[in-house]
Amino acid sequence: MKLERKGYAVEETGRPGLERSTTGEFETKHMRINVGPQHPSTHGVLRLVVDLDGERIARLTPQIGYLHTGFEKTMEHRTYQQVVTYSNRMDYAHSMGHDLAYVLAAEQLVGAKVPERAQRVRVLLTELNRMASHLLFLGTGILDMGALTLFFYTMREREEILTLLEMVTGVRMNYGYFRVGGLASDLPDGFEARCRAFLDGFPKMLDQYATMFAKNDIFLNRTRGIGVIPPDVAVAYGLTGPSLRASGVALDQRKAAPYSGYEDYDFEVPTSDAGDAYARIMVRFAEFEQSLRICRQALDRLEPGPIKDPDRRISLPPRHELETSMEAVIFHFKLVTEGFHPPRGEAYVATESARGELGYHLVSDGGSMPYRVKVRVPSLVNLQSLEAACVGGLFADMVVNIATIDPVMGDVDK
Amino acid sequence: MRAGAKVAALADALAPLGAVREEQLAGAFLVLPAAAIHEAAASARAHGFDLLLDVYAIDWLAYPEHRGPRFSVSYHVHAVAANERCTLRVHVHDGDPLRSVTDVWPAAGFMEREVYDLFGVPFEGHPDLRKLVTPEDLDGHPLRKDFPLGESPTLFNGGRFLDPATFRAGMIGASRGRTGWIGGARKGVVSAAPEPDPTDAPRGAAPRGDA
Repeated sequence: MKLERKGYAVEETGRPGLERSTTGEFETKHMRINVGPQHPSTHGVLRLVVDLDGERIARLTPQIGYLHTGFEKTMEHRTYQQVVTYSNRMDYAHSMGHDLAYVLAAEQLVGAKVPERAQRVRVLLTELNRMASHLLFLGTGILDMGALTLFFYTMREREEILTLLEMVTGVRMNYGYFRVGGLASDLPDGFEARCRAFLDGFPKMLDQYATMFAKNDIFLNRTRGIGVIPPDVAVAYGLTGPSLRASGVALDQRKAAPYSGYEDYDFEVPTSDAGDAYARIMVRFAEFEQSLRICRQALDRLEPGPIKDPDRRISLPPRHELETSMEAVIFHFKLVTEGFHPPRGEAYVATESARGELGYHLVSDGGSMPYRVKVRVPSLVNLQSLEAACVGGLFADMVVNIATIDPVMGDVDK
Repeated sequence: MRAGAKVAALADALAPLGAVREEQLAGAFLVLPAAAIHEAAASARAHGFDLLLDVYAIDWLAYPEHRGPRFSVSYHVHAVAANERCTLRVHVHDGDPLRSVTDVWPAAGFMEREVYDLFGVPFEGHPDLRKLVTPEDLDGHPLRKDFPLGESPTLFNGGRFLDPATFRAGMIGASRGRTGWIGGARKGVVSAAPEPDPTDAPRGAAPRGDA
């Protein structure tokens, strides 16, 4: 698909970077400049090679791989339960989403039955983490446009969410709290009250944010009509998640193929038809409200009960059983030293992370480690739309486009 | 999981090209001859599968009892309007090129580069077929099953170096860099690591986990 170059004509010379512009009074040559990999607006280590025609972008090529860690290769040498240690380290802003996507695929492969309570807790924590991720997006995205103040406010609320998640998991990032078959442990005492207090206070904070940026003239001028991605271009370039919904395509895996009991929750999928940077920000801003609704419903329906699959071939036996039951010791030993052996086959569960469709394609050869792990990461694919958003626009708007497409570089490079 | 009328219609349309439908936990797969991939992709696009979610390869070298070409390349596609999805899959021998589908789905740009980088499957007609994530000076394709896991050798007291993969392989008497649980039986220290099998021979000829 050839990208339309808005507002000016370019004569192709057949030599990349040396196209001649024929719009102005005199002939100009494109200038090729390098952005990054260490550049504050790239939110990580993203290098962009940009061909400029004056102040307008004629071509943009992302160069990635600075954070490539070989997660897929490593996961192929770890047992199914050990993979949980790695999955959340890719998208460090929405770790729970990666954990959830992995355990769902592994559970499909091994046929685990996850109890009701574990499903509710998973949804609750994933949505809390989604809000933390969107808060990071909002704060840093508007910081890139020069508004420093909002960043501190969003970080304040993000801190409270991270504290809540720390109560549950023991860490502030890279949680690894979900297990194949359930959860690592139950929610701690006092979590529910503190979580409810946060959920009650957060809508007021959202209003406070809105007064700080939503009607600001500089913000509107820098985002309205900037980096427009039409819906057909967005789909052709594989864009998913809030950025796709900002282009008017209401594709959300939580609605399209509900998992973890999302079909029981009452929530909406915010969309916008504009497709510009403003729409991408406001769709995410509207998602706070929906995540709050889901969190409240999950807390309301949280009943006491088991938190992991009682199948001893999948979940560890409870600690107290090890002192009385020889059989429990054997299962414990087998699970810890070897892990379980799913039957041969391939599994994939599509989930909606804060950035788009996320899924783990697992291939089992009948062994205790996955034969092949392929992570469908949203950020990598979404990054391809950056050129569609930027070409023809001003160079200064590139920063806004990177911020609003919201790639996390750990998620891009794997 | 979500395969309905659209997928059935696509399977019928691709049947003359040699497509065989398979069901997995992951959803519906349409397995095609490698030469037909571009035509099949165009047909899928015309059937409404407009969102290409992923292109990924699997190296079947170490898979037990696998017969046939070494690699498979899969194209995971989604029809946004109908909310249906399926996967087109082709099998290719080592070194054989596939036709690029970037002109059907521009989203394939990064995905095919990733497969090329990590598995060494070349794509003909790709506008910019370069490595995607690994450094320029890295030889080989890391996600192939005969590529070692890559841990750094550790220096112990007395100037003795231990290469972890070789050490571990020696401890359990198996090859390095293969999947599957093969531990549990210590067979004494074997110093030399066995060389992985570089050939594209059909599986089943060699015992599993042993090159």
